[in-house]
Amino acid sequence: MKYAWLGCLVFGGLLFGGTQDSDINVNTRYTVDAVSIFGKGWKTTFLENRTDQAEQTQKLSTRLKADLIDLIGHKLNPSVLDSLAQRIRKELSAREVGHRLLRSDTPDHVQVEFEVTPARGGVDLNVTQFSYNSRLGWSGAGEAGFNLRQHYFLFGLVSDGEFLPERYAGFNVRYEDRHLGSDRLALRFQFDSYHDVWNSSTLEAARIDTRVTSDPYRSRENFQPSLSIAVSKPLSLEVGASFERFDSQIPGLPTEAANAVFTTVRYHRQIEGAQNQQDVDASYAMRLAARSLASDFSYARHTARVRYHIQRGKHSVTDELWGGLLAGRAPLDDRFVLGNSTYLRGWNKYEIDPIGGNRVVYNSVDYRYGRFQAFYDTGAVWDGGQTATARHSVGVGLRASILSLAVAFPVRGGHIEPVFMMGLLY
Amino acid sequence: MAGLSLSLYRARAEERLTTIYDGDNLHVSAPGLHFLTGKPLQRLKDGATVVYLAQLGLFEDAGFLRPIRLAPIDRFAVSYDIWDQGKFSVTMLNPAPRTSPNLSAGATELWCLENMAISASNLAQDRSFFIRLEMRTADQRDLSSVVAGPGISLTELVLRLGKKAGVDDPKWIREAGPLRLADLVRMPGRGPRNG
Repeated sequence: MKYAWLGCLVFGGLLFGGTQDSDINVNTRYTVDAVSIFGKGWKTTFLENRTDQAEQTQKLSTRLKADLIDLIGHKLNPSVLDSLAQRIRKELSAREVGHRLLRSDTPDHVQVEFEVTPARGGVDLNVTQFSYNSRLGWSGAGEAGFNLRQHYFLFGLVSDGEFLPERYAGFNVRYEDRHLGSDRLALRFQFDSYHDVWNSSTLEAARIDTRVTSDPYRSRENFQPSLSIAVSKPLSLEVGASFERFDSQIPGLPTEAANAVFTTVRYHRQIEGAQNQQDVDASYAMRLAARSLASDFSYARHTARVRYHIQRGKHSVTDELWGGLLAGRAPLDDRFVLGNSTYLRGWNKYEIDPIGGNRVVYNSVDYRYGRFQAFYDTGAVWDGGQTATARHSVGVGLRASILSLAVAFPVRGGHIEPVFMMGLLY
Repeated sequence: MAGLSLSLYRARAEERLTTIYDGDNLHVSAPGLHFLTGKPLQRLKDGATVVYLAQLGLFEDAGFLRPIRLAPIDRFAVSYDIWDQGKFSVTMLNPAPRTSPNLSAGATELWCLENMAISASNLAQDRSFFIRLEMRTADQRDLSSVVAGPGISLTELVLRLGKKAGVDDPKWIREAGPLRLADLVRMPGRGPRNG
């Protein structure tokens, strides 16, 4: 617990830290009327009514472009320029991005310029997950990698007790070609190797009910080639195959395989209003394992998600809906779980269903004002043929960028057992 | 040879730190000290805010190894007016922020030094001491740039936290001594509050 409070102090400091030079820079009195990003031989200019976009910046995310355009028409806020430069650097995989102000043609107006220095190749180290849940403990993941032009080689380490019925720890290696003849095509090969640790309630539940899922396994390995296609501006498609092996906890028993093909369709649209910004994200994923693929498991797993976000000034509301259906007998790591630091916060996944379920419905409403957040989660996870029990939780917390501190309360009769959560949420 | 001697004399004069005693505090002036130069000046002209950290210290020895007293670090946030070129704005961030806009480069540097002081209380009138002014630019360790995008970049974090001060950021040091309070010229119009 002392580590939790120590972490709380550290993250609290980060949440309220940071440079506030918006009041001390003399140029904050000027209005931004153009933002441009340029490199050797190219330039993209964002103006209030139009964008002259070079090919080099087409892959910038809609959110980043929106944040750049959001500078226009407002008084200069120098404190966000460093952050925007770093986001451009990351999204363009550039070596360096600097920024500067220039006088505009109109008096008391300025232009913001970002200068991009391209990477010759680079090495990077990222923490992709880091969280603490007072019921589930610590989870973390990180990866180190390097790239040579569009070829990315990554090595990752994971220890996760949040998202699956098991706690798993191990490594993954990944190769990505992010420009397979075109920026629209990306190829990826990934290999995972994880050792699994099981909660006693999961082992007990799996022993009683052996028909719906696999036995708990000692370790698992997965090889997964996939291809991503940017179909059109808001739509992308990923197709691939997964070859997964499970080593039994009992020595001598044969390895089981779950070989599957999968596809995911993603949609993202951003709607800019005069006073608000709306984001709509939707995705559908299907995973199909069959005996014809030399798989010991035969199942179809469908998941659909819709997320709607609206921001108006410091106020923002997000609603996320998620549903899933599993038909057939799937291994434990493909079953649905609620009751962690992301889904149905405040509940303990081992209390709800220690082996997960093959049906899930979940909705979360999140309201934020500046750095303060309040949320209401509701969801049910169950097995087909059983009665679904809806559970609810509420919580409050602080959030700045991806840093989050929250306390969540499961809504149930009798007693209140809050769950404390903190970490980096992406 | 005479020319060389003259140049050396001028260089030494520019390096000199003049100390003034107002009865309570010691103030300094360094006409030859120009810190709105080089990379920081370029960053200012690009529209950025540059924070200068400055500290005065009293020492027993000429090697500046045994401090008698170190003043709190003063922080000066300087920005350059893109539209009113040649004009700077400076804000002293502590103890309570106060700003002086529309200053030339020289006036900005002077304003920073004029607002610095170190207490001379309990320092005997005839005790010998050395005074040192140390100034550098603050590192721009903006957390948001480290956590931008998917994942927190450890490489970025290590680079920023592990960067040695002085490698990229210039540092200015001026020293004077040995001095005695009894020998120092008191500021006109000011005297000791307690006698």
